[in-house]
Amino acid sequence: MDAGTVTTVGNGSVSEPVLSVRGLEVDFVGSGHPVPVVRGVDFDVYPNEVLCIVGESGSGKSVTALAVSGLLPETARIRGSIGLNGTDVTSADDETLRMMRGQEVGFIFQDPATTLNPVLPVGRQITEGQLAHGRLKPADAPARAVELLREVDIADPEGRANQYPHEFSGGMRQRAVIAMAMAGKPKLIIADEPTTALDVTVQAQVLAVLARRQAETGAAVILITHDLGVVAEVADRVAVMYGGRIVETGPVGDIFKSPKHPYTSALLQSIPRIDATEARLEPIPGTPPTPAALPTGCTFHPRCMLGNGRPRCQSEDPALRPVGPTQMAACHYAEEPRPTPQAATVRSAPAPRTGGEPLLAIDDLKVHFPIRKGILRRVVGHVRAVDGVTLSVDPGETVSLVGESGCGKTTTARTVMGLIKATSGDVRFEGRSIVGLSRGAMRKARRQMQYVFQDPFSSLNPVLAVEDIIAEPLRIHGLYDEMGGDKRIAELMDMVGLSRTMFGRFAREFSGGQKQRIGIARALALQPKLLILDEPVAALDVSIQAQVLNLLQDLQKELNLAYLFVAHNLSVVRHISDRVAVMYLGRIVEESERDALYDSPVHPYTQSLLSAAPVPNPEGRRARRRIVLEGEIPNPAKPPPGCTFHPRCFRATERCRSEVPAFLPYPGLPTRAACHHAGPLRPEEVPGPARDLEMVR
Amino acid sequence: MIGYVLRRIAQLLPVLLIASLGIWGMLYAVPGGPVGMLLGENATAEQIAAVTRDLGLDRPVLVQYFDWLVGALTGDLGNSVYSQEPVLKLIGERLPATLQLAVAATIVALVLGIPVAIISALYPNSWIDRILSGWSALALGVPTFWLGILLILLFAVQLRWLPSASTYVAFWDNPVQALRSVALPALTLGIYVSGILARFLRASLVSELRADYVRTARSKGLPERQVVGTHIMRNALLPFITIVGLMMANFIGGAVVTEAVFNYPGIGRLMIGAISNRDYPLIQGCIVVILVIYIAINLAVDVLYAYIDPRIEYS
Repeated sequence: MDAGTVTTVGNGSVSEPVLSVRGLEVDFVGSGHPVPVVRGVDFDVYPNEVLCIVGESGSGKSVTALAVSGLLPETARIRGSIGLNGTDVTSADDETLRMMRGQEVGFIFQDPATTLNPVLPVGRQITEGQLAHGRLKPADAPARAVELLREVDIADPEGRANQYPHEFSGGMRQRAVIAMAMAGKPKLIIADEPTTALDVTVQAQVLAVLARRQAETGAAVILITHDLGVVAEVADRVAVMYGGRIVETGPVGDIFKSPKHPYTSALLQSIPRIDATEARLEPIPGTPPTPAALPTGCTFHPRCMLGNGRPRCQSEDPALRPVGPTQMAACHYAEEPRPTPQAATVRSAPAPRTGGEPLLAIDDLKVHFPIRKGILRRVVGHVRAVDGVTLSVDPGETVSLVGESGCGKTTTARTVMGLIKATSGDVRFEGRSIVGLSRGAMRKARRQMQYVFQDPFSSLNPVLAVEDIIAEPLRIHGLYDEMGGDKRIAELMDMVGLSRTMFGRFAREFSGGQKQRIGIARALALQPKLLILDEPVAALDVSIQAQVLNLLQDLQKELNLAYLFVAHNLSVVRHISDRVAVMYLGRIVEESERDALYDSPVHPYTQSLLSAAPVPNPEGRRARRRIVLEGEIPNPAKPPPGCTFHPRCFRATERCRSEVPAFLPYPGLPTRAACHHAGPLRPEEVPGPARDLEMVR
Repeated sequence: MIGYVLRRIAQLLPVLLIASLGIWGMLYAVPGGPVGMLLGENATAEQIAAVTRDLGLDRPVLVQYFDWLVGALTGDLGNSVYSQEPVLKLIGERLPATLQLAVAATIVALVLGIPVAIISALYPNSWIDRILSGWSALALGVPTFWLGILLILLFAVQLRWLPSASTYVAFWDNPVQALRSVALPALTLGIYVSGILARFLRASLVSELRADYVRTARSKGLPERQVVGTHIMRNALLPFITIVGLMMANFIGGAVVTEAVFNYPGIGRLMIGAISNRDYPLIQGCIVVILVIYIAINLAVDVLYAYIDPRIEYS
């Protein structure tokens, strides 16, 4: 079977592909050797269909998409054919390509904060493509912009069209980008990580709008993502890319149920799941290859459990071939059974809380930032970043703070470290208050608790060698020799799985996962009792995430560390935590033991959050019910009165508008919640089956 | 916006006050004084005492300062010690010439600098980029007095197209004559600054060209001239106008060398003369006027910023 043969899709009708790619190869020609980024890719996309291209960084997925519309830089050399509605993109001249962009193919890019021009009104940016194509009269443009904004559910589109991107929230910006991509009613939409920069409730809104607009226009969609949850929710077909090639393709259900390529199966096993509690993740060893240094033969062979070092894998790059009735895979041994992962032992339930003195106790912590105005810098209000947080962490325990951006979780963590001054409330470490300590005393206290930052790419000093980065805390505290000097550094590198041969190297020579290991080694140097982990895996590739999460769990067991884990990814939090606290607008709205919180949440916000999170299981997605929250997190400078969640809450009553709910234990569960109407989700509270996210046909 | 401008002007007053006090203090900290310059080396002690009393220089320094300050607040910057003419009149004679030169030089710098920057940025590392970057480096590196002399040799001595020494002719009195007399000093200053502007704008354009919104604009099928002209230019202009403002302000008081080469009657030469004569009121007056213009140009830049960048709000 050739990937190009006409296939039946969705409703069973047979149609011509909108896009047909054959033998696509892209090399980047710089000063040195040409670097092969895409190495022979074939695929088709049909009207009304969603093709998800999945892959890690360097897999060639974004370059493939840009090649489709001739948007690659001049250093790219393209071979093969790209047929877009019958026109060959690779041989078309610049003017033909320009006319195709916006008309035949529309683009949605990753970060809506940077994809819109900050100095032009949104409405103008939406229609200017159509104007440039001569398909819209200048006089009609304003009205058309309003119409397009209305179609993506922007409230008050007349007023919004004249506003600038900074006046839009993140979710509204991405909806405006969708309106822009749809303006010319293109037959093909390419969405490159369209929701990666968005919060989970906003992601649900944006995917819903995209799905509805696709259904209305009948466009084909290529959605590029690394998030297998999103894939399971929206894809019809999936193409998995690795090392510049498609290594597996097939219908979404089959790919998730019985992956044929060992990379696909390994990827599926390496992700933490929101719908189950697994004992331990099965990471893929090693790192994804960089296009400049591809392994010989099958590019996956150094990381493959199935090939297991067989010579054929090292010498011969396997072709993409049919495996089973619906799938294709590029593996010599795709038919062989997978080595089964070690019997997944159910993770032991967290030890019951001792009831003794907690390691870290946060008591009614408030952090208010003053808003100053005028020449005299008068304080005219406060941003209530953290507004009464009470939380404790026992020795050896992992407590997670989870919430959407702007909820105050990072501010809480930084205040605990003394990096931000608390407005009121108390933080006790081993029973001793550490709020308002002098600089010297705070530095001493920090020996016991260390911080690991989110972005391993910018949190390591680029001019220091790795051993100096790890030694820095020891030197700051004057303990370098006392704690063993070089021997201690070598010990720390062993502990986090970095080879001692890496001594003397600089941060830029390490991969993302290795950098985060360096960050962890640095945090462990002083033998702390508590690590504050601020989104430690958010910037890492999926297969690397699992390695770092496992490392954290091993270290915790070995060193009896306590973790305060700050994250927005609900699946990662479920995997790593003993207890979880959900934050909204500076307050904890619900806190419980992990399984109780995920299996029987009682606060409507927790329920919405969990319902919005995509589940990496396409089965039954049509039947899945989902709460799509309206709007976004309000401005913490002007929080709504009463319960701050009431404007978005499906249970809100008159009482919620005026009375702040107390944070109280919920009977029958190890849960505390701040809600007047706390309780399990009732069926009538959820809209009909998958009304929104599922691509309507 | 009007409220913002008024507030900025109100903030200007303390700045001027502190600056004038500082200048006053500095003048008196330097040994020597105007009396010695007025009377020459052979003056007797009695003569010196008499002139010192006449000029009021025997009073305490602070009293003299407040005296000056009260005058300044009523619009009287005092009289030149040397020529006895009002300071404001002396400055008033020179200021139009200086402003005319500053505007002309800025226009030259923009006309030369902007196209060079755009072409370099659109074809990075090409032969034309290298030639234009070389030109920018050359424009920056050649000292203005030398360039001035070269221009005089070429246009005044060899070709006899333009006068070698510049007089001030107001533009609205006789545009042709005004342009002829300002052309050479304006070219000298403008070429030098065009090198700075071109380098700055090129760097700014190159970084904007990599921005995500540029890819978005192209993905909509906009023609390249619209991508560059509308999308990139507006963003690249933001840091650029700051530099243009600073350069223009710099021409007001800092074009002394060029003014000297062309014997141009600008405020820079007036001030240098005042400094060598220890003409305290005139020095003070020149610096205050230059400072006011400097601050006014920066205010204009800030207002322009808000016009170009909607993210900036002046409330």
